[in-house]
Parts: sequence; C-alpha cells; structure tokens
Amino acid sequence: MSAPITALIDGETVTAVAGEVWSALVGEEELLLPRAVPVDGPSSWVTVTGPWDGVVVLTCAASGTADLARSVLQLDDDEQPTAEDVDDVLRELANILGGNVKSLLPGPSALGLPETGPAPLRAEDEDTCRVSASWRGHDLAITIQGASEAPATTTTEVPK
Amino acid sequence: MRALVIDDSRAMRRIVASILEGFGYETRPAGHGREALDVLEEGWVPDLACIDWNMPVMDGLQFVSAVRANPAWRQVTLMMVTTESEHGQIVKALAAGAHEYVIKPFTADAIADKLSLLGLMPAASSPGVPA
Repeated sequence: MSAPITALIDGETVTAVAGEVWSALVGEEELLLPRAVPVDGPSSWVTVTGPWDGVVVLTCAASGTADLARSVLQLDDDEQPTAEDVDDVLRELANILGGNVKSLLPGPSALGLPETGPAPLRAEDEDTCRVSASWRGHDLAITIQGASEAPATTTTEVPK
Repeated sequence: MRALVIDDSRAMRRIVASILEGFGYETRPAGHGREALDVLEEGWVPDLACIDWNMPVMDGLQFVSAVRANPAWRQVTLMMVTTESEHGQIVKALAAGAHEYVIKPFTADAIADKLSLLGLMPAASSPGVPA
C-alpha cells in the first residue's frame, strides 16, 4: 500500500495546481482566494489508479456553477448555460485537475473518465488532502482522497 | 486549413476550436476516436487533428494508431491535447505516430507555438491572439 496522500502532496501544491488550471480555463484574471469553509454543491471527480489509488474531487457551490460554465465556455453574461454545459465543464475541470495532480504522484498511474454526481468521499482521514477556496464569491473545494476503504458519502461536501 | 478537434468534453472542443478558428482554421468536432474516424472515412481529411487521450468508445491512442495504419491519411498531423503528462505516456503516443503533445491546461500561445513548430500556422494569423 502506498503512502497516504498527505505524504505525497500538500495543500499549497494543490492550490497552485488549481490556480494554474483556473487561469488557463476560466480566465487569466480569475483568482482563487483561500477560504476555509465546508463546501456544499455539485461535485465532479476522476479516479487515479496506480501506486496511489484514489479520487480527485471538485465541489463547487451550486450558486457558482452556471457562472463557472459561462466563463469556461466564454458565453455572454446574459447567456444561460444548459445543465449539460455545466456538467461538462465540471467534468473537464476535474479531469484537468486530476491529471495535473496525478503528474505529481508516484507513477505510472491511470486516470479514469470524469464523472459528476454524489462524489465518492469518505469522512476526512489522513489519506485526504483538501483545499477550499472562493471564486467570485462562490465557494469551492478540491479533495484528493485515497480509496483504501469502501467509500461513503459525506453530508458536508456533497448534496443528496 | 482544416482541423479535427477530438475530445469527449464539449467545453474543451469549443475552447480548442475557438483557438484554431482564431488562427484561420476550419474545424470539425468529434466526441471520441470512433466518431473522428467516421469523419475521415466520409472524406473530410484535415491537416491537423487535436486529440484527447482519455475518451469513451475509442481513446486517443487507438485513434492515432488507426490513422497511422491507413496510408491515405498519412498527411494528417496528429497533436495530442491531453492531461496525460507522464513521460511514458508521451513516449507511447509519439511512438504510435503522434507528432506533438500539448498538456492541459494550455494557453493559446502554447498551441500557436506547437503549430509554428509543425509548420501549420496559417501565414495570415497572428500567434497568441485567438478569438
């Protein structure tokens, strides 16, 4: 069994990765501000399989998902993204976050296809690295969590 | 010039297509490798294919191998645009016949640099200033 994620990557590194992804996809001027709060909203995630097995999860406050999709898709302010657009954007953000996190972990590793829905999160333990932030006033969290045990859905990060 | 943009994410297809169209490309989207092969088989053969790696139905590596196995598509330049950044994966893609490799997230400038290296930047376009 591999070392826990906290021995492989720290929150500062995850924040830097997220900032780079945000700048490239959401917009050069778009900043992620540190904000330590529980985040409740839709989640997207990818699995990482290799020397370290786990999942990289993006959770975004529901209030921010349409705004996020509008920014990534470069829609006009008055243009409403479809639910499919929102899901697609969340999946791709998780995919790119996951791929960049994977590149920092021991390899070789494989990345799964991104998904959205109730994320396979467990209660926080030592095999979890979580950073939370605020984007345009909307809370979001990135959770990197090992899959060493059967997953259970938490109530604080994932809506029913 | 023509480009086929192959990615299971509509958002990413739109971003890549927007950049390429800013450089003067005519683009067509495909949601996975099999759909992209269908486009080639119908006779729409592009100068460039931008290919994601992880996709359902047929992944990017399988698509690259299929294109390289058909001499009629020899002129298609294959550029992986993917989150797969492990050295072993890059080597595998290049060995299968990909010409270039761009890791997500990327900037329009990074795409422009790769196109210039490949000799695929339309003369009238201005690198780094996509739509």
